[in-house]
Amino acid sequence: MTQNNEALLGRLQENYVQFVVIGGVCSVYYGVPIATFDLDICCRFDEPNLRRIEAAVGDLHPIHRLAANKLPLELTSELCLRLKNLYLQTDLGILDCLSEVAGVGGYEEVLRQSVTGELLFGKFPFLTMDALIAAKQAVGRDRDLETLKHLRAIKEKLAHKAPPPKPSA
Amino acid sequence: MLDEALIEQLNRGYICPPDAGPAWRAAYEAGIDMSLIEHTLELTPAERLQEHQQVLDFLLSIRGAGLANDTE
Repeated sequence: MTQNNEALLGRLQENYVQFVVIGGVCSVYYGVPIATFDLDICCRFDEPNLRRIEAAVGDLHPIHRLAANKLPLELTSELCLRLKNLYLQTDLGILDCLSEVAGVGGYEEVLRQSVTGELLFGKFPFLTMDALIAAKQAVGRDRDLETLKHLRAIKEKLAHKAPPPKPSA
Repeated sequence: MLDEALIEQLNRGYICPPDAGPAWRAAYEAGIDMSLIEHTLELTPAERLQEHQQVLDFLLSIRGAGLANDTE
């Protein structure tokens, strides 16, 4: 098994997929030292964008990893209309595509609450730390609450490090 | 002769700074290794993801080896 997030992100970008990085990789971006074994993104769930995702991973033997019989990814117009999430296993690892983020909203809102992260292999949109905290709070599973404790501590630490605001003229 | 104070310091692990804020202290008291967070905060976001990928590769190689052993 492999999980090559760099290669997956690169492919998404090369195929002009509209997406925002969320979930565990986003937590790592902000400094949470917890390894995560998938790549979660929030993306626009219209047919053109879903077709771009299909093009990005089409040669990686993508399957719907949570379907009982591991169906291969074969989009149709009807399926594109009805899908809300895509949970994929590919030769480069797991790619979970969500149409909305709990506690934040749909793709447009997620995009609005994103920042551009400059990585060594490109620039990608990441959910803001505040929105990530809201998402973890909304989901509230044990592992989300664990991450939440990390994020709150990091946010607090960064706030203390931040330079004092400039006095207004 | 070993300095007892040094030995005590080496053995007790991470100490929450007295000026830590409530969230930092809550995370520390929940058992989170705050020294790991301090380390990641010294890195840039790009470096964090690079280090995460290295850890991931290592963990997956261990898991692969473990699964191979199980099937032997």
